[in-house]
Amino acid sequence: MDIENTNLFEFAEFDELESEHIAAPAYSYWKSVWRTFFRDKFTVAVAIFLLFIIGFALIQPTISGYSPIVAPNINNSSMKFLKPSAEHIFGTDHVGNEVFDAVWAGARNSIIISFVCTAINMLIGIPIGALWGFSKKMDRWMIEVYNVISNVPFLLLAMILSYVLGAGMKSLIITMTCTEWIFVAYFIRTQVMIIRDREYNLASKCLGTKTWTMITKNILPYLISVIMTYVSRQVPSLISYEVFLSYMGLGLGTTNASLGQSIAMYTSYMNGYPHLFWIPVSVLAIISISLYIVGQKLADAADPRTHM
Amino acid sequence: MSNNNTDREVIVSIKHVDISFGSGAKKFVAVKDANFDIYKGETFALVGESGSGKTTLGRAIMRINPCSAGEILFEGKRISGNISAEEDRNVVRSIQMIFQDPAASLNERATIDYCISEGLYNFHLYKDEQERVAKVDRALKEVGLLPEHKSRYPHEFSGGQRQRVGIARAMIMEPKFIVADEPISALDVSIRAQVLNLMNKLKKEKDLTYLFIAHDLSVVRFVSDRIAVIHLGEIVEIAEAETLFEYPLHPYTISLLSAVPMPDPLIEKNRKHIVYDPSVLDQSGEPREMREVRPGHFVHCTEKEFEGYCQKAAQLEKEKGKA
Repeated sequence: MDIENTNLFEFAEFDELESEHIAAPAYSYWKSVWRTFFRDKFTVAVAIFLLFIIGFALIQPTISGYSPIVAPNINNSSMKFLKPSAEHIFGTDHVGNEVFDAVWAGARNSIIISFVCTAINMLIGIPIGALWGFSKKMDRWMIEVYNVISNVPFLLLAMILSYVLGAGMKSLIITMTCTEWIFVAYFIRTQVMIIRDREYNLASKCLGTKTWTMITKNILPYLISVIMTYVSRQVPSLISYEVFLSYMGLGLGTTNASLGQSIAMYTSYMNGYPHLFWIPVSVLAIISISLYIVGQKLADAADPRTHM
Repeated sequence: MSNNNTDREVIVSIKHVDISFGSGAKKFVAVKDANFDIYKGETFALVGESGSGKTTLGRAIMRINPCSAGEILFEGKRISGNISAEEDRNVVRSIQMIFQDPAASLNERATIDYCISEGLYNFHLYKDEQERVAKVDRALKEVGLLPEHKSRYPHEFSGGQRQRVGIARAMIMEPKFIVADEPISALDVSIRAQVLNLMNKLKKEKDLTYLFIAHDLSVVRFVSDRIAVIHLGEIVEIAEAETLFEYPLHPYTISLLSAVPMPDPLIEKNRKHIVYDPSVLDQSGEPREMREVRPGHFVHCTEKEFEGYCQKAAQLEKEKGKA
């Protein structure tokens, strides 16, 4: 073999840019969020279950046409207080109505109210809170507004509003949003203040970035996971709120089904027919807990520190 | 100002600037009576220990910190305090900053494409999307990065690469003056030279002026034309870079220079650190001001000290001349 045959080798060209390549695959925020979320099989199972329950709660009442003021079996005593069975899945109640229908009609309204209220509170609270955190001038008077509003007892306000507006879905939504947004705004304000003076925001300021662009591009993307956590707590807590208000007689009124309404109505039969009380309570608990689990996991997944 | 400087164009002028934080009993004066000019095309270094007010002064030029007294002029126009929206736009575009910590100064949730285009979006410095992309690609190329990096996020980059993104972001605005706030002190030693060389290259290509804030004197000697030494918010000495290293006059400057570590174990072993003792200064309470000891060499001193410095400077010059 000809060792001196240098043709076997060639000089490698030095390319400075070659060292600048990033070998790692491209990163995409939302893709990573979903990948992290779907990695946990338990949460995915809960999410599927939750979707099924919500879907069922939205569809079933339109089929059953349940209304708490319609009671065709009220004079048929053989239809009252039946235990859960194959024919009557959750049994029947004191007026001979299917508890199954009552619970799902109630769950439907409760879920709709809590989602609508959360959406309204977030849509108002987040932009106001972001501006509030950014502007020292706005902070000076907003904090006073917050102090006043947060010191009004909620139950008192709910009572007054239910007298003024009457019972019904619309007035309940107003009751649960008219002051609640300011707590969201206050929460966001505190979060914004934490990251407002970080150096990258200073850099944006030096580049002439306007406040609103700074909020949408620099601040809110950092807060996604915090906001997700907040939403995941707010949805189930508003369901409980609705139940609480309906239970107190300040909610939807007797003409509309709601979980709170059912629980309030069935409490008096708790000793003789405990299934009447425990079934709506269990449905409430199952919905709340699964919402919380899925929301928490989503919030975790939204935090890029979990993406590695 | 000295003869060789009078014909030079002043780009930034700091006139008797005080910067203070808080008010009343809690008032803290971070910078006292800073007064100097920066000429077009030079690299003016501001050195001092931690907490001496270097960054505060740099940020006052960026209009992040307001001046409590005095004014800052850019190309002869006042930029401190309230200025019109149109001038504001002009100043933002003309004065840009390079930050100390490249990890903290980039938006972690935005792509490099957005980070670099941010200034372009703010001032709409492009005709169409095509031109914007072209500008971003050019800015990336200038700092030695690749167009493929645009879709990446800052956390995927190394410290040196991130700092170059920061430089590209400033350069895309086509500024005239750049405040570089310790641009290499957060970087690994192995890439400091790379970033410094890049800054020097861009300076030549784009006819830039730098205010280079640093505490590393060996670096300052390498990059700067003139140096100002700042101590507890007061500028104590301003001179051409070599003059300051050859003939330091103010005791604080002498102390600071004596603290520079030498990368030679033999010299390093014998290096004596002179501790600064403010009591050697004139304690008569006479007002201090910047006085020109040699042409272009200013020292913050009283009338009495001034004479001493003049003699010392003459003596030092004679000694160097002999050697």
